[in-house]
This record gives sequence, structure tokens and C-alpha cells, in this order.
Amino acid sequence: MFNIERTGEEKRILSYADKKCVGCGICTEACPTSSLRLGPLVPIARGLIEMDLISVNQDSCVFCGLCSVACPFDALDLTIDGESIKDMGNYPFWETESEVDEEDCIYCGRCNEVCPRDSIIFERNLPNPADLVRGEIDIDKDKCIYCSFCADMCPAGAIKIENIPTSTVDKVNNSIEVDISKCIFCGVCKRVCPENAIKQICATCMLADEIEVPEVTGKTIILEDSCVNCSWCSEICPKDAITVVKPFEGTLELSENEEEEKICKGDSCHACQDVCPCNAVTIVDGKSVTDLTFCNLCGACVTACPQDIRILSRTSMKLTNINSESWNEILNTLIGK
Amino acid sequence: MAVKIDADKCGHIDNCPVQGLCIKLCEQGAIIEEDGDVKIVPENCDDCDLCIQNCPNQAISKA
Repeated sequence: MFNIERTGEEKRILSYADKKCVGCGICTEACPTSSLRLGPLVPIARGLIEMDLISVNQDSCVFCGLCSVACPFDALDLTIDGESIKDMGNYPFWETESEVDEEDCIYCGRCNEVCPRDSIIFERNLPNPADLVRGEIDIDKDKCIYCSFCADMCPAGAIKIENIPTSTVDKVNNSIEVDISKCIFCGVCKRVCPENAIKQICATCMLADEIEVPEVTGKTIILEDSCVNCSWCSEICPKDAITVVKPFEGTLELSENEEEEKICKGDSCHACQDVCPCNAVTIVDGKSVTDLTFCNLCGACVTACPQDIRILSRTSMKLTNINSESWNEILNTLIGK
Repeated sequence: MAVKIDADKCGHIDNCPVQGLCIKLCEQGAIIEEDGDVKIVPENCDDCDLCIQNCPNQAISKA
């Protein structure tokens, strides 16, 4: 996290939000004055060093803002007199997104489970069974022998008996309770009771109009602050309710060279896996395998690989509204143009 | 092939910014701590080069 500023005719502040940074190094490539430096990715990812992924040389930074528009993850921001250049209209911006369509979401929570960045807030409210079914279960404690047949057979697990006695005459310290929020008024308990101690009154028919239609509500929110548009959520969503637009299109391949002894060491190294913000890298049969479905082509693994055998080739990007010729030249180097 | 450490550049754990980063990074047990210093165990080295790449003093190179 840093904030540096320059005051003069206008006040320019460059701020860095470490939580959003993935260590891709795109900002360091874009900086025309080489004022940004990428820290040691692997030691930081493994928690061996505590420091920011990038650092800035305040003396050489010219506060142009190129780094902030180049960052696909919004980790850098340049403001001029308090306004972010990304909101000014004449500066470039990324057309990336990760959005949940609340209309289609069924609150299954799968996206929340797979998100590698813990960027999805998920909440689900299930209907209360007591509101959906109306009835009463009445147990005659004088007749009950606490045999526990009813509790054993209750399909909803709604009956709780404590201190089941070895002798059926010992009733002193026993209790039997029906959890009405679990009970589905099926009547099994009444039918199995050997002492005829259970009465079941189901009033669903009489009160049918008052019974709620079951409805599951909730919310699923993707936090822009830490989302890296990896698309795990949209891939796993059973309802196609999530749209993800990634920053880049392209490929990432391993290019081993046995003669030069440039070989993936897989499990010994796994630097790529550790720095990947997308959980897109796995080690299969001793070699690094990147699933491009989940990769956002940020390139952090390319920098982290000590063998230098990861070939990233970006063919297009979602950075748009580049109006300056010189900026266009610099920013287009991100996609090898 | 393993790696070698330039004793002049090496921080020798005590003066290393991360107190022996190479030891912590190497999961093969090819770089270990012995008598308060860094020691290479060549037979364990897998030549992954993680230590070379990450040494804050650039003290490690191919043997």
C-alpha cells in the first residue's frame, strides 16, 4: 500500500491498493520512467517475506498515470485534483467485468466455494418449515415409554429423546421433544408408537391458503476489490447467471528445452502455482499445467518461473479508449503489438 | 549439477534480509542450515533454480 503525491498547478496522487494487486508486473512494463519495481513474487506468495508486490521510486515517477490505466486489476489509481483519471472520460479504461444476474441466481453457493480470491459474498435464506406446513404433534407423556421408535424412524430427525432407559418402567429422567421447525407432519411417529401415545393433527388442508409458497432468497455479490476475472464462478454456475469478461485473450504454454536444461521441475518448484491469482495452475505428472479456462493471462507465473519456460502470448485486450498515440504504442506492447 | 554459493555475497543467514531465504524456499532439502551457515546438499538438488532466482544478494549460481 502506498500513496505518493506531487503538488503544483494541480495535485496528483498515485495510490496503490495491495489487496487488488496480483503481481503481474504489467505496471512495471508500462512505466515510461522505470519507476515501479516488482518484488520477489514467490517468497511473498509463500508468506516468507511480508512486503508489497510492487514498490515505487517517488523521485523518478512523473505521475503520468500510465501504470494505473495499464493495470487490469485496478490496483493503481492516479487522481488529479481528487478525481480518478479513469473517471475522466479521456483516459483509457478496462471493459472487464464479473457480474451476477440476481434474477437467474438460485443461491446454490458454488461460486462462493470455488472463488480463488474470496471475492464472492454469498447469503442464502431458506424458508422455515414451520411456515410451510401447519400442524401439531402431541405426545402423551403418561403413555410414552421412551422406546425411541418414533425418534429412530422420524425421516426429518425432528424427535429428540434423552436418557433412553434400559428398563421401560424407568421414566423419571426422560424427555421427548418434537422440533416443530423440522417436523414435516408425515405421521410416521404416530403409526410406529406401540403405546398409542402420539396424536398428529395436520391442519394443512384447512389452512392451505395461509401456507407460504416456498421461496429461497439471498444475495450473491462479487467484490470488485479483489476479483481478478478468472471466471471460476461463471464456469461453475449451474444457471449461467454470472458473466465474466477477462482482460486478455491469448495462450500460455510451456516451452521446455532439454539441451539448455530449461525443464519444468514441477513439484520441486511449483512457483507458478503459488503465484497464480486464479488457481489455474496444477502440477500434473511432475509438470505445470495451466487451465486457460480459469487463467486471466496476467503473467505473474511467467515472471515467477525460475526456468523461464512459460510463453505468454496475448492476442487481444479489453483496454479501450486509448486516445494518445504514444500511450497506444506503450499499452499495445501488452498484447505484443 | 546443483548450485554454488558465493560466500562473499551470501548473507550467511544472520545478515540475509530474510534469514536464509534459500533454505526456506528449497523444499528438496538441498540447501540446509548447518552450524549457523548455509550449506548445499548437491544430491538433493533438483536444479529448479528457485534459489538462484530469489536470492536477495544474487549469491547463488549454477555449480
